[in-house]
Amino acid sequence: MSEQRPFRRPQPADWWARPPYLAYTLRELTGVAVALYGAILLAGLICLWLGPDAYAAYRQALASPWSLAVHGLLLAAVVWHAVTWFEILPKTMPRIILGGKALPQPAMTAVTTAFAAVCSIALIAFVVWWGRP
Amino acid sequence: MSETPQAALAKTIELRVLRYCPSKDGEPSFGTFRVPYTDDMSVLQALQSVKAEQDGSLAFRWSCRMAVCGSCGMMINGTPKLACNTFLRELAPGPVTVEPLANFPIERDLVISVGEFVKKIESIHPYIIPKQPKRVEDGTYRQTPGQMAAYEPFSDCINCMLCYAACPQFGANPDFIGPAAMALLQRYNGDSRDGGQRQRLDQIHGENGVWSCTAVGECSEVCPKHVDPANAVNQNKSNSAFDFLLRFLRREDQP
Repeated sequence: MSEQRPFRRPQPADWWARPPYLAYTLRELTGVAVALYGAILLAGLICLWLGPDAYAAYRQALASPWSLAVHGLLLAAVVWHAVTWFEILPKTMPRIILGGKALPQPAMTAVTTAFAAVCSIALIAFVVWWGRP
Repeated sequence: MSETPQAALAKTIELRVLRYCPSKDGEPSFGTFRVPYTDDMSVLQALQSVKAEQDGSLAFRWSCRMAVCGSCGMMINGTPKLACNTFLRELAPGPVTVEPLANFPIERDLVISVGEFVKKIESIHPYIIPKQPKRVEDGTYRQTPGQMAAYEPFSDCINCMLCYAACPQFGANPDFIGPAAMALLQRYNGDSRDGGQRQRLDQIHGENGVWSCTAVGECSEVCPKHVDPANAVNQNKSNSAFDFLLRFLRREDQP
């Protein structure tokens, strides 16, 4: 007769490093870059509070080649985080019904990504205009 | 047609099938079969040909052969798929690895235990709980196409469990209610005729509710019916959070 003895296979410990889950792991890890960039800005604020000498040293540290390389990497990671964040945004929202039909998720991603891009470019333009000699 | 039937049948492909017989084997191991195939043959048909021609003891579930019943879900080359909906021509030259759905206990060969999944489906009150009881004389519950669009894809689930096999969080926590049960929950919660949202809150809350989900999103990628269970799970995170924050303000006199 039949015998029931279910076998449970263990989940691979490195599932997060394998496709298709690697994309998810990268999306979550780039969130660390957002935190690092926040910490750099916070350090600037603290230096500003400590006085002109500390702030000058902070600005000098930012201008070093090492700092520029780190900022290049952080920028790439933060852009990746933002793009993939807007990709999953529709998954976290209720379905939006317009005129009796559901709004397609790629449209939601496109509109929100475009809005974020316009805001970012406007902010950069404002800072460049504000900081002109 | 340039190929004669004999020439067409001359093509063969190798299947590596994970075998497990609970009365004989200590643990699962792969068995290899070589099957003749034609371009219109599915993985399910290859398994049926193995069972008919080579090894009658091979166990697997199937029924409709057309991606409607949800019985033949299995891991094909590591990805959860319906065997009836996956064609050998796309996997040629092979070998094709066939395993039971990941994250589930294996009963025998490609057959997994579904009992816990069925309990989860039962736990979410999978039926319409009317806001106001209505007598037959009062007529039907009406709904506009827009109100139907709010939940319609969630009603397309065929309980194939591919989403559970794709979910690493279900793999880590077998008590996680999981994608398909939450999609069915949202199918009723999102229905304009339904008033049972409060009764389904216990299934949403907590580590075994939606909060085991980390938005990996693979459940929606592997769904053969485009149900988008990731959307059902993640929008209920806000429902769970709102209920947590507003529970002291809410009047309890309405059930």
